[in-house]
Amino acid sequence: MATRDPQDCRQSTTTLSAFVDGDLPATEAQAVRAHASACPRCTISIAELAAMVTAARRLERPEPPPSLWPAVEGAMARHDRPWWMSLRLFGGGALAGAAAVSVVALGLASWRTHRAAPAAVAPGAALAVVTVSADPLLAEAEAEFARAATTYERSIEKLRALLAREEPRWSPVERARCEERLAQLDEAIASSRELAHRTPGDSVGNEQLFAAYQQKITFLAEAVHRGGTFREGEPPR
Amino acid sequence: MAVKSPHTTMVGVSAVRAIEGLLVPAGATRAALDDAELIAAVKRSDPGSREALYHRYKRRVYGLALRIVGPSDAEEVAQEAFIRIFRGLPKFRGDAALSTWIYRLAVNAALSHRTRRAGARLPTVDDPQADRTIEAQPAAEPVQGDAVLRARLERALVRLPTGYRTVIVLHDVEGLEHEEIASILSCHVGTSKSQLHKARARLREILAAEGITASALESG
Repeated sequence: MATRDPQDCRQSTTTLSAFVDGDLPATEAQAVRAHASACPRCTISIAELAAMVTAARRLERPEPPPSLWPAVEGAMARHDRPWWMSLRLFGGGALAGAAAVSVVALGLASWRTHRAAPAAVAPGAALAVVTVSADPLLAEAEAEFARAATTYERSIEKLRALLAREEPRWSPVERARCEERLAQLDEAIASSRELAHRTPGDSVGNEQLFAAYQQKITFLAEAVHRGGTFREGEPPR
Repeated sequence: MAVKSPHTTMVGVSAVRAIEGLLVPAGATRAALDDAELIAAVKRSDPGSREALYHRYKRRVYGLALRIVGPSDAEEVAQEAFIRIFRGLPKFRGDAALSTWIYRLAVNAALSHRTRRAGARLPTVDDPQADRTIEAQPAAEPVQGDAVLRARLERALVRLPTGYRTVIVLHDVEGLEHEEIASILSCHVGTSKSQLHKARARLREILAAEGITASALESG
């Protein structure tokens, strides 16, 4: 450094920057110091770099616009919402219940070997298999299952009520076809429930029951939403 | 003890309320909640904990976004950064300081944004549109004296290539150490240093071209 032609000093700005930061090894820093004492250009460069760093340190952190937090909060609220909430169509209960039931079904399936004896099922109860387990984890899952199934049933009731409001606008043929299909779905639910009662230690019955519930909910939701001309399996209009 | 922090006046009522909503260990002042406590509160989903963390880091995140992507996209990038922060926080293990981790996510959000917007380039010193774009940006406010110099320095920073700008903002503006910058940018410490020194050299050229001298900077 000390032997460098002052005309070449512009090439050493990066070295001078390191010198300003104290990043150079002691011997190299000493060489820069010695050179700068005899080189006005480097003296100015060092002063400019130091002043530039000081000025940058004084730059303020700007205040973000007030709209930023609400935007973040809103995005996080959408993120925090369970995935099945995004499926809600009418009041949110139906598909939520279906999804919850499915989740619990999977959990129960994995614990089926630990099941205790099934408790008596009240006539007309929505749940096909509700057991009382000594395993607290399993008991918790069963309670969750019961809550989900209740929600599920309530959702079906709501959809039925909505359908009852819509049906008078349909043609007699459309109404008949709808009721016929609902009867088939109810039959499927009844037979699945019976299967689940017969084989409480096996998850197959429950899985069929959940599938039947879901099918009925899907049908009801589509019928309410799309009207009497709706055909199952048709893409949405 | 009253809630009082350096940011209280800027934070506003809602944030103070949020901080007050935190479950504060007995005997501790709310303002003294350290990062570890705040992380724990967010992980527990304590009411207001996210907002408290937001207010603690909003200026750093927004300032970084502003200086890397420019004023028109800064809010969008800061929003994206905070979403990444809150989504990632449950998995944050504390291997790095919270501030370093937050800077990393903010830088990544900013650089990802720039990559997506590659077609709409921000001005750099190599960009023939640079001066026009800079001039087109809204003036911050009427400035005098040192405020003029700060504004010129900000404009000079915008004209740096992104890589240089990122390093110089992290080191000289935000005051991070090279070890932190290397962690944030996933590079070697030596790379961070060499990039910084090159960035300063380029910045000095830009400032010199605008007639800004060392004495002016010092007086500013």
